[in-house]
Amino acid sequence: MSRIILRRLMELVPTLLILSVVIFGLQRLLPGDAALAMAGEDATPELIASLRAQYGLDRPLPVQYLDWLGSVLQGDLGRSLRLNAPVGQLLIDRLPVTLQLALMSMLFALAIGLTTGVISAVKRDTRWDHAANVSALIGISVPNFWLGIMMILVFSVGLGWLPASGFTPLSEGLWPGLRSTLMPAIVLGTAIAAIIMRHTRSAMLQTLDSDYVRTARAKGLTERRVVIRHAMRNALTPVITLTALEFGALMSGAILTESIFNLPGFGKLIVDAVYNRDYEVVQGVVLVTALIFVFVNLLADIGYILANPRLRE
Amino acid sequence: MMPRAAVLPPPDFLPEPDMAEPLIEVQNLAVDFLSAEGPLRAVDDVSLSVERGRTLGIVGESGSGKSVTSLALMGLLPRRSARVSGSVRLDGRELLDLPETALRDLRGDVISMIFQEPMTSLNPAYRVGDQIAEAVERHRGGNAAAAWTRAVEMLRRVGVPSPELRARDYPHRLSGGMRQRVMIAMALACDPDLLIADEPTTALDVTIQAQILHLMGELQREAGTGIILVSHDLSVIAETCDEVAVMYAGQVVERAPVAAIFEAPEHPYTLGLLGALPARRARAGGARQRLPVIPGTVPQLHEMPRGCRFQGRCPFRIARCAEPPPMEPVGPGRESRCWRTPLEALAA
Ligand SMILES: Nc1ncnc2c1ncn2[C@@H]1O[C@H](COP(=O)(O)OP(=O)(O)OP(=O)(O)O)[C@@H](O)[C@H]1O
Ligand code: SF4
Ligand SMILES: [Mg+2]
Repeated sequence: MSRIILRRLMELVPTLLILSVVIFGLQRLLPGDAALAMAGEDATPELIASLRAQYGLDRPLPVQYLDWLGSVLQGDLGRSLRLNAPVGQLLIDRLPVTLQLALMSMLFALAIGLTTGVISAVKRDTRWDHAANVSALIGISVPNFWLGIMMILVFSVGLGWLPASGFTPLSEGLWPGLRSTLMPAIVLGTAIAAIIMRHTRSAMLQTLDSDYVRTARAKGLTERRVVIRHAMRNALTPVITLTALEFGALMSGAILTESIFNLPGFGKLIVDAVYNRDYEVVQGVVLVTALIFVFVNLLADIGYILANPRLRE
Repeated sequence: MMPRAAVLPPPDFLPEPDMAEPLIEVQNLAVDFLSAEGPLRAVDDVSLSVERGRTLGIVGESGSGKSVTSLALMGLLPRRSARVSGSVRLDGRELLDLPETALRDLRGDVISMIFQEPMTSLNPAYRVGDQIAEAVERHRGGNAAAAWTRAVEMLRRVGVPSPELRARDYPHRLSGGMRQRVMIAMALACDPDLLIADEPTTALDVTIQAQILHLMGELQREAGTGIILVSHDLSVIAETCDEVAVMYAGQVVERAPVAAIFEAPEHPYTLGLLGALPARRARAGGARQRLPVIPGTVPQLHEMPRGCRFQGRCPFRIARCAEPPPMEPVGPGRESRCWRTPLEALAA
């Protein structure tokens, strides 16, 4: 088992290298550079050139890349020219917001997706199953911004239960903190809940029809035990992987959701940075987001190995 | 069995257990699968019985309804898509009327089954010892340690080497033969009165096949288990069974004591299985174990002929065969479903 996990860790090295090249490269493909942005509209070519020299933008790309990689590895993500602050600090300030939003929406998606998926499969072709399938289809099709606006209209404007925007840190109280990201988390988690539900349902239908579930029934086990211990146990392992992959969709969905609810997270940071051609910040956000994604998938792979007797040995 | 009267006269207010009453008695069993085009009858008018300590063989080509019949007796057909009718009496109790909860108490305890698919019938996520112990705990109660001990003991009895170690293995570590032994150990762990073995040896090589059949016979002699053995293999049937039911296209077409059926089959289909159909005698040799090939194919469920289901392949067909032949007694303990039995004169 440890050998498989070790191999999985080794595979991480090329993944991360390619990732860094892509992040660095995409950046340079964008029209205009930081020197242009900094110098302003009517700067002289001389001023631009001197700015370029000052920030090393005139050097060959491979050199710039290695230079960048070197400082990233030392934890230095550069400075935001616009906000005049270290990128690392900006990220650390925004991370709790995005992390709280991501975790809450994932929990929401898993809770809803797994339960409805399992129940749908067990009660297949019943009214409950049809209703759940239709809801899932709606959940996937509804645009985030529309759902967000509707929820704000109902729960903030109409009922006044939840704040329409803004973020309260957990340090100012558990409930006020959770409350401030509750609606955004539901908005963000809805489509993922629907996807998890559909995969769980089809995986469950497959295992419920399997020979070993028939064996479990032949032992006289209760249907509850058959479903939970024999069918779910095997159906949910592939769902681990799926959930980790959906984490990517979740991170990108967070950008839009954070702007709807005006949450000061990664989403807002990167949108502003792109407008301002604040390269270092864009790079930093993308890098950290990608690292989180890679890490979550690594965890999922390890979970999958642990859940699989065949791989565990 | 000890004659009770010799020891103590039975109190006359208790009815003497009726030794003639079979362990399981199936009458007019029918199974319909619901499909988009309406119900399809996969098993039709099947009647069987097995006595304690005896073995009934079921033979028939692929698709003749052997597995569906077995699953119907276990109550394991999908409730959503299968309708079972007729009567299945186990020890005088009507199983088809029992609520699911009561059936569950019997399954794996009083009546158990070994499935045709040893490779996929064990749960890949659990150790085989735990999977056997689960059945023991379900029906015998007691603690987990006792159930585990019983699981190991069962593995030993079915001839699994180093059972303490193998019990800790996950199914993927075991060969097909070992997995089938695990399935047998599981099925027998609670000393069932009736064991249904659906092609228990098909997936295995000949030596292991012999061992497993021997083992089932041994366990049967010890515990008086009644066995229904489904098999393609006529030599297996000849060696292990007391009675045979031949199935064709969802029906039992002939039922007889084993010696009689090999000596003088009464149904043209049985003749075909024995490779003895006139003019089309199947070649000897080759697949010794398998059923001889009878020309033609089994009719599909949705295109069952109205009359005799074998008429499309039967060299003895007459006009009357367009009407469905009834199952009729043709000798002591024998029945056949053919307008032209007895066949003696025809088969000469
Ligand atoms: N769940 C099901 N739904 C619909 N039809 C089914 C189902 N299970 C079996 N059948 C049909 O019932 C018929 C009998 O199948 P069964 O599996 O009992 O055959 P068998 O005699 O066991 O064959 P084999 O020797 O290949 O195991 C076949 O035509 C099969 O297609
Ligand atoms: S009833 Fe007719 S067709 Fe059917 S087996 Fe007998 S002789 Fe053949
Ligand atoms: Mg079968």
